[in-house]
Amino acid sequence: MRTFAHFNARTVDEVVSILRRYGERAHVIAGGTDLLGKMKDELLPKYPEALVNIKSIPGLEYIREDHGTLQIGALTRLEDIAADPLVRGKYNALAEATRRAASPHLREMGTLGGNICQDIRCWYYRHPDNRFPCLRKGGGRCYAMNGENRYHSIFGANVEQGCYAVHPSDTAPALIALNAKVKTSRRTLAVEDLFEVRVGKTTVLDSDEIVTAFEVPTPAKATKSSFVKFALRKTIDFPIVNCAAMIASEGGRVTAARVCLNAVYVKPYRATKAEEFMAGQPINEANAEAAGDAVVSDAKPLQHNGYMVQIAKVMVKRAILACRSEAPPAQT
Amino acid sequence: MKEGSKATPLNLCPYCTAAFDTFEELKTHVVSVHKTEPLPKPAGWIALTVNGQVHELKVEPEWTLYQVIHDRLGLMGVKMFCDRGACGSCTVIMDGRPILACMSLAIECDGKHIQTAEGIAEAKHPLVESYIKHHTMQCGYCTPGFITTAKALLDRNPDPTVEEVMEALGGNLCRCGTYPQHPKAVLEAAQTLREEGSK
Ligand SMILES: Cc1cc2nc3c(=O)[nH]c(=O)nc-3n(C[C@H](O)[C@H](O)[C@H](O)COP(=O)(O)OP(=O)(O)OC[C@H]3O[C@@H](n4cnc5c(N)ncnc54)[C@H](O)[C@@H]3O)c2cc1C
Ligand code: SF4
Ligand code: FES
Ligand code: FES
Repeated sequence: MRTFAHFNARTVDEVVSILRRYGERAHVIAGGTDLLGKMKDELLPKYPEALVNIKSIPGLEYIREDHGTLQIGALTRLEDIAADPLVRGKYNALAEATRRAASPHLREMGTLGGNICQDIRCWYYRHPDNRFPCLRKGGGRCYAMNGENRYHSIFGANVEQGCYAVHPSDTAPALIALNAKVKTSRRTLAVEDLFEVRVGKTTVLDSDEIVTAFEVPTPAKATKSSFVKFALRKTIDFPIVNCAAMIASEGGRVTAARVCLNAVYVKPYRATKAEEFMAGQPINEANAEAAGDAVVSDAKPLQHNGYMVQIAKVMVKRAILACRSEAPPAQT
Repeated sequence: MKEGSKATPLNLCPYCTAAFDTFEELKTHVVSVHKTEPLPKPAGWIALTVNGQVHELKVEPEWTLYQVIHDRLGLMGVKMFCDRGACGSCTVIMDGRPILACMSLAIECDGKHIQTAEGIAEAKHPLVESYIKHHTMQCGYCTPGFITTAKALLDRNPDPTVEEVMEALGGNLCRCGTYPQHPKAVLEAAQTLREEGSK
């Protein structure tokens, strides 16, 4: 790696002031599992001038229940979330998503904040030495649109940019299904509203803003949540498609549903059509299948990723079925 | 990855800026002249406890923990296949967690306690013998990473199931395909440990 200035920050205010000084030229580093790979590969048109370590800030690593919410610090490691009895008990979608992300080592290092703020994995974008200076890097065109696009968006590109790179996070759909909020150094917003596709960016965060915590409302008693993932290998691999659901039922019928896919669109993709379909219905094979069909009815696959449509449909179905009150834990 | 400058770093006193050739001399100076202890570490200096031994050294911001442990401290048990976090061959145990030395910046590891395959072997951990007994390696390049990961598992879970072993080793890749042997070796080591413990 080429060198850079390095700061071990002690407080969130210190991070903000260093970031303000450097503007876009500095990055924060949490677990480093995403950022360091990018730096080693000289991926970006502009190599960072400075890294601000936020692991050195005390008190940003915690999991606790507080006034009907689950509070998780941005630096909490994925492995600790996956193993937490509280999370496993009531927030199954998040427990499963953190358990299925990356590999055991990466989960010991990777933080929830970093997982949500991680960059895209489009292989043109990720090719070393900025070999493909594509739209997402401020360049002139998208190489995936007419190139190798078997892991790209099946729900169209981002309108202004024409970029088809999917959002790769496993935890994002779980947090969105659970209706979580994200707290930053200056505001609180729904996790769903955090994502934005811009040149060099995946979130709405300003260059001097960092994520500090997540807040997940405690689901009501008759509510279940689930997360399923399809990947080539059981560990290490990114999702080809994943899906999380949270479903509340009463008298055997769905009263409220939140379903979110990821790795199928440039942002996590709320499967609203499945949510609408399930309202008032019992959870069974036929309904879950029809809900999956509804979601992919407006899919627009590219040349090589038509197979993802079928997988997305099945992921929606399995995520919904796993929310049955008698459901055995989902097996993907 | 390119390495930073290899020149011996200048050891400047943070109180009076006197320069010394070695860190030890600087320490003696600070304690005798400025009457303070401990010495505040100048920027870029870290202390690592590796296999029980404390090392104080100056690191460049871009040096990974792998570079420091392998290239600087000469502990060759930490291996590198991918340098991208995707294979587990560079695994070390840091404060109880199996982590990847290639994806950690050394400058962020000040004060950490680290165990490598060398430390596990020196401590005569039964994993080493059971790995040999079960022929758990062919070329052997990935083996230290597997053993280190397995040691971290047994520290937390002395009686794992086959599934738990396979899950814990899920981030370790072996090009020679030794996978079926690992659960056997780890389970046997676990049993040996439990028997030793109950003696
Ligand atoms: C081989 C491999 C496989 C992987 N597989 C998966 C997978 O299956 N599923 C998955 O979801 N992910 C996967 N990942 C991606 C990812 O590295 C991890 O999931 C991890 O959670 C990222 O967290 P981190 O703390 O290491 O992030 P870092 O690398 O430290 O940071 C990632 C980005 O987020 C920014 N950032 C970090 N923390 C904050 C914060 N608090 N506020 C604002 N910005 C912040 C950083 O500036 C950086 O740009 C994989 C990575 C590798 C290398
Ligand atoms: S999909 Fe996006 S990131 Fe990939 S080449 Fe096209 S513009 Fe670049
Ligand atoms: S060398 Fe570190 S994970 Fe492969
Ligand atoms: S024994 Fe050769 S790579 Fe595993």
